[in-house]
Amino acid sequence: MIRLSGIRKTYGKTVALDELELEVREGEFFCLLGPSGAGKTTTLKTVAGLEQPDSGTVALGGEDMRGVEPYDRGVAMCFESYALYPHRSAYDNLASPLRSPRHRLPAAEARQRIGAIAELLGISGLLDRPVGQLSNGQRQRVALGRVLVRPARAFLLDEPLSHLDAKLRQQMRAELKAIGAVQHTTTLYVTHDSVEALALGDRIAVIREGRIVQTGTREEIWYRPHDTEVARAFGRPRINLLPGVVTERGVRSEGGVELPVRAPVAPGTDVLVGLRPRDIALHGGDGHELTGTVYVTEVLGRSVEVTVRLGTGEQRVSLVAPRADAARLRPDDPVRLVVRPENLLLFEADRPERPGRRIETQP
Amino acid sequence: MRKHLVGWLCDAALVLYFLFALFPIAWMVILSLKPADQLFSTYFSFSPTLDGYRTVLGDSEGIPFVRFFVNSLVVSVGAVVLSLVVGLPAAYASARWRFKGSENLMFTLLSFRFAPELTVIIPLFVLYQKLGLFDTYVGMVWVLQLVTLPLIVWIMRSYFADLTPELEQAALLDGYTRKQAFFKVALPLVKPGIAAVSLLAFIFAWNNFVFPLILTSNEAQTVTVGALSFLGGDRPKYNLTAAAALVSVVPPLLLALTIQRYLVRGLSFGAVKS
Repeated sequence: MIRLSGIRKTYGKTVALDELELEVREGEFFCLLGPSGAGKTTTLKTVAGLEQPDSGTVALGGEDMRGVEPYDRGVAMCFESYALYPHRSAYDNLASPLRSPRHRLPAAEARQRIGAIAELLGISGLLDRPVGQLSNGQRQRVALGRVLVRPARAFLLDEPLSHLDAKLRQQMRAELKAIGAVQHTTTLYVTHDSVEALALGDRIAVIREGRIVQTGTREEIWYRPHDTEVARAFGRPRINLLPGVVTERGVRSEGGVELPVRAPVAPGTDVLVGLRPRDIALHGGDGHELTGTVYVTEVLGRSVEVTVRLGTGEQRVSLVAPRADAARLRPDDPVRLVVRPENLLLFEADRPERPGRRIETQP
Repeated sequence: MRKHLVGWLCDAALVLYFLFALFPIAWMVILSLKPADQLFSTYFSFSPTLDGYRTVLGDSEGIPFVRFFVNSLVVSVGAVVLSLVVGLPAAYASARWRFKGSENLMFTLLSFRFAPELTVIIPLFVLYQKLGLFDTYVGMVWVLQLVTLPLIVWIMRSYFADLTPELEQAALLDGYTRKQAFFKVALPLVKPGIAAVSLLAFIFAWNNFVFPLILTSNEAQTVTVGALSFLGGDRPKYNLTAAAALVSVVPPLLLALTIQRYLVRGLSFGAVKS
């Protein structure tokens, strides 16, 4: 549906997009995740035709979009800055697409549609107000409404929930995908929030410095991250990455910690072993046992984040345990941790020029 | 105590400045009210009369001041309107698109304001004579573009540059063409700027002296030159010149008062990031 191939975009000497490849399938909800400055917004604007790539092609529904004006591309975009028309009311902002020559609807029908969308977004009471009098969260919803109110080939959403307060954001996140228009329309959703990406994306692409690092379903991104940085981007608390050296039997980390990871790597190679905090069990179960002492505990509501000093060294790992299991732990208490070898991820050691790639492990 | 003293000194300074600023105007008002035979008396007492104004507005003395006044209105408004029609799209384009030589083009436009008008006035005079533009409205409106167009383009450019381009981009994605995005989104948002810059341009055009002095004689002559006609002849009639000058201050003043609301916002708009 949306296909970007070999897109390169530079602003002076800064490279914004560097041979970017991206494919969003028909009807899919696709999340583009990356830190600020990674090229997310530029990617959206390139799809919309608001930015012209230096090279590469943009195709929508199989058609090459070269030379096609933004208003002929049939995509709707929600800007991170809202880009609401400040001299008009919320209603007139929502009505703007429906009054344009390309998406014109009879006034009565337009009113009905706007009413329905406003209801959906909880802004029915604000329609008469000039947008200058709305809060940021309200403006953001009006901006989202202006996108959803019209039929489109694709929705391009640039951080559409970023300015909502935490509660509303969670609620809207849950509702967004249930909105009929969103279900039926290909959506390219830009965010810097990995939780949002995991919650919403049928597929997720991770963008970094103008390049797509990895594209996949949330499972693929979670269980087979392309490199340590992708692994670090998803999951809170963050993944534990233990430096170690490959040996005949596995990986040896500091303080006499042995980890049962097998990979086709020459012994003596420096590696990082990744352990998700939720994949470490405090009490029993099958698997590989690690010993250590409690360093610190932090209650996170129903669960507890426990940081444990492994073996005899200073190596620390975080894990998340149910409160009942971890409530009585005190610093320096000895603990036995269990990890399942299949949950261990293996990465090359990080280097200054690039984060360590994942190494396929052997069962 | 100290605060009081500072406040008092400030007030005194303001009063002094007020006297300094208004003194010439007061002088003109007094001059315009003097009867012709007491013009050169230096003591303050005289019998005030509106005869000066009656003479000026009554077109006596053989000087059609009312026509000059209308001429001034026509050429100043005409110059501003033409400059807006040409200058707003130019300002918008130069704020949004950089192309090869665009900065040079803008600088060239500004440079029209550098040279004194006197440096070009002789060739212009000859050209105007040959082209039949001498002493016509069209000729005056045209030549005043040298005054109003750079002003409008340069000031409006910064207004447009302060608007985020995402507003017009949103309009494009809403289904509007670039032209519609300009007229429906960008233009309404710079209205305060248009009001402010139009007033400035109008005042500059209205006050211009050299162009009407050389390029008009009677039909299209404006108040700035016309007011001085009362000084000709065997006896300079200062009271009539003063009355004419004061009458010709009225339109810019009225205009400034009516659009004051926009003016304050307009002139500060460009400077402050919202």
